[in-house]
Amino acid sequence: MKKKLREISPWKILGTLSQKGPGPGNMGVIIARAGLGKTACLVHLGLEKLLGGEKIVHVSLEGTPDKILSYYDILFYDILKAAGNNNQEEISSLLQRNRVVLAYLNQSFQIERLKENLDNLSKQMDFVPDTLIVDGLEFGDAPREVFEEFQQIAQGIEAEIWFSALAHRHITEVNERGIPYPCNNIDELFALIAQLEPVGSGVVLKILKDHEVPVPPDASVLLDTKTLLPK
Amino acid sequence: MSENIHNLRNIGISAHIDSGKTTLTERILYYTKRIFAVHEVKGKDGVGAKMDSMELEKERGITISSAATYCHWEGYNINIIDTPGHVDFTIEVERALRVLDGSILVLCGVGGVQSQSITVDRQMNRYRVPRLAFINKCDRAGANPYRVVEQLRTRLNHNPVLMQIPIGLEGRLSGVVDLVSMKAIYFEGRYGEIVKKGDIPPDLLEEARSKREELLDAASMFSDELTEAILEERVKEDLIHQAIRKGTLKRELTPVFLGSAYKNMGVQPVLDGVVRYLPSPLEIENRALDLDNEGKEVVLSADPGAPLVALAFKLEVTPYGQLTYLRIYQGSIRKGDELTNTRNKKKVKLGRLVRMHADEMEDIQEAGAGEIVALFGVDCYSGDTFTDGRVNYSLTSIFVPEPVISLAIEPEDHASSSKMSKALNRFAKEDPTFRAHVDAESGETIISGMGELHLEVYVERMKREFGARVRTGIPEVAYREAISKRAEFNYTHKKQTGGAGQFGRVAGFMEPAKGTRFEFVNQVKGGVIPTEFLPGVEKGFESCLERGLLVGFPVVGVRIVVNDGSFHPVDSSELAFRQAAIGAFRQAYMKAKPVILEPVMKVSIECPSEFQGNVMSSINQRRGLIMSSAEDGVFTTIEAKVPLAEMFGYATTLRSLTQGKAEFSMEFSRNAKVPEKLAEKIKEKLTGSKKGR
Repeated sequence: MKKKLREISPWKILGTLSQKGPGPGNMGVIIARAGLGKTACLVHLGLEKLLGGEKIVHVSLEGTPDKILSYYDILFYDILKAAGNNNQEEISSLLQRNRVVLAYLNQSFQIERLKENLDNLSKQMDFVPDTLIVDGLEFGDAPREVFEEFQQIAQGIEAEIWFSALAHRHITEVNERGIPYPCNNIDELFALIAQLEPVGSGVVLKILKDHEVPVPPDASVLLDTKTLLPK
Repeated sequence: MSENIHNLRNIGISAHIDSGKTTLTERILYYTKRIFAVHEVKGKDGVGAKMDSMELEKERGITISSAATYCHWEGYNINIIDTPGHVDFTIEVERALRVLDGSILVLCGVGGVQSQSITVDRQMNRYRVPRLAFINKCDRAGANPYRVVEQLRTRLNHNPVLMQIPIGLEGRLSGVVDLVSMKAIYFEGRYGEIVKKGDIPPDLLEEARSKREELLDAASMFSDELTEAILEERVKEDLIHQAIRKGTLKRELTPVFLGSAYKNMGVQPVLDGVVRYLPSPLEIENRALDLDNEGKEVVLSADPGAPLVALAFKLEVTPYGQLTYLRIYQGSIRKGDELTNTRNKKKVKLGRLVRMHADEMEDIQEAGAGEIVALFGVDCYSGDTFTDGRVNYSLTSIFVPEPVISLAIEPEDHASSSKMSKALNRFAKEDPTFRAHVDAESGETIISGMGELHLEVYVERMKREFGARVRTGIPEVAYREAISKRAEFNYTHKKQTGGAGQFGRVAGFMEPAKGTRFEFVNQVKGGVIPTEFLPGVEKGFESCLERGLLVGFPVVGVRIVVNDGSFHPVDSSELAFRQAAIGAFRQAYMKAKPVILEPVMKVSIECPSEFQGNVMSSINQRRGLIMSSAEDGVFTTIEAKVPLAEMFGYATTLRSLTQGKAEFSMEFSRNAKVPEKLAEKIKEKLTGSKKGR
């Protein structure tokens, strides 16, 4: 059943990539303008990882835990509905066991605190995430060192770290490798870069960077704007 | 009459424990001249605040029963329900919210939005209660109302708008600046009863202008007229009030007031806010179920001339008999009227009608829609609906959570025995989350409730109010049994021992059913079980749920489908089929792989961030699951799901882990399967104790 549910995920496109994702110790990012569904897309990624049996820590720098957990509930329900399944209890409890939300409200985020919190989870709960999802970090303002520290965290616990990055309509900078703002000056830090873009009938999730290999031509998927599930 | 309803406000005051809501209520009563002296919650004068009328409440400094009272302010009548802040008494809060039209959410200026504020706010959302916020204790060291406003936005998802800014903070708090009139307000006199208005201190003028801009921005979202007035620079106070009121009633805006009730500052503007922004009963839509029309929902009208529909939402024992708090939703009542209790169709004559003022009362002759009154000498249960007999409506019942904890009690002496049963009978009527029963096997009296403190308070009340001296056992978790798979049954009950025989056969299956205790499905075709015997079958199955065959806990979540059977023209009877159902249940139950369920609580712990690790570890040791951890400045809120069985004594553990700087609240989340090893232990323990008896 879990396999069936994973096939519905927008992130099944990772299967077309060279290493099926950034891989342990590496970082990935999804770039999109405001309102396109970055958080929902990251939650789908979280669900995909959880259904694959991985442990995740979802770090939110904007939304409260309640909000994030509701996102997980609603999108999980959408997946179940799409799969024609109603018996969610068993899987739902698996998701709860393998997921922790860490929220830093009112600009209280400090990377040192995150390290301490991860350390607490590991030592006190024996909970070491396979994937860290970081939503709401201001890419435009964050210095390069912050990302380097994140990279150290990823390598230290051998986890993948995924970010969301806010693009702006009026900033159209793109580097020579085709990576747009706000990742155009730090793209070498990311093993995988994806982008959400609006199209007439929905939103397209496409891969812009896949490690150091060319991105396969079929590495994009058209998503429903409401559920962000493949159309 | 409807003009009077226009000028009526039914409000609650709810918040986290120790936010000062009882003190706020006390000041409100003083300023509205309902009382003539002020006493503190834990006052040195030994009198205690007016709303904490129960002896025990005064002693502990907490509010247990939500006493109702009313007062007048600027031509408006206000009914106030003071609600408990401790989560164990949440049913009181739930009941208060059911009958209220608006509420004041009291927040501590230092602690901000705390765990219980979140619980209470969730409840207010459930009953769609519009509210305004009062940030209290702005005189305390560390008070930061701006941070609390931000928390209202981020933690409670409100759209808060500051109606005032403080003049000074912490020890220097001396008044507030009203951002609508742009005047400074000071509170003078012994208890702040003299409100003086003046110019805004020059050093606050710029901030006041900027915050007023924010206020206008937020309010203009609800009024085009105000938007135009802003653009044309001709904003009038009335326009702002109207827009704020509109936003508040839609629950899309939360006006925020500031002050310190203890220091007598900022309370009168809150009262102004109540009458200006909170709804009258006419502005709230209430619904009832029409029992003569298959329970179809009907909208009630606050018309005093319409047929009476009223809800008994709280009972209290007094030296003069049972006192029943009643909210009238439709129609009106007069002293001497005959009321019909929808539940049992019994008619009662209304002897005495009173308006409550904490533990004092005022006799009145009549009351109309929207009002909250109290009746004397009416025998009923909390949650009963009363009508004048012209309609057969029932008000949707208040959500009542299942008890999660139980305790064995026994009288210490013979004299206490009857007092104890009198008390238990009374408490069960007053509080639907409190239950009492005699265990058939052990003969022990078992009381059940929502938490340790909940039961502790009732045991204390038994001693104090009823003079019953009782001994208590160790609190026990309310375990349940549930089946985990489908199992078939086909059972024939046959008895022939002289005289009339007994015969009945039932066949079908049982299967797990989530979200319900018991569901009976009749799929019998061709009259193989005659219709008149089916109630017997249902009763037979239901009687088996009281004690599961695995360990003896009550059974929940079972669907029984009966699809075949047979009868004998002479020997079959309802009793015979009842016995057949019992036999069928016994035949199938163990095949359906029953498991033990335990209550799992949603626990919310607030602590200084440096203790996050310690707290997480304590949760882990208790079979808990961390759901989230949210940091906000120096404080962290950890949300977890933990089996109730592991939470006994947690308050003490938490205190020692965090140097007394953390606090927690918990509420029932769901019943979950007990892990195998533990289930074995429970079975062993119970089997052992049975053998020992």
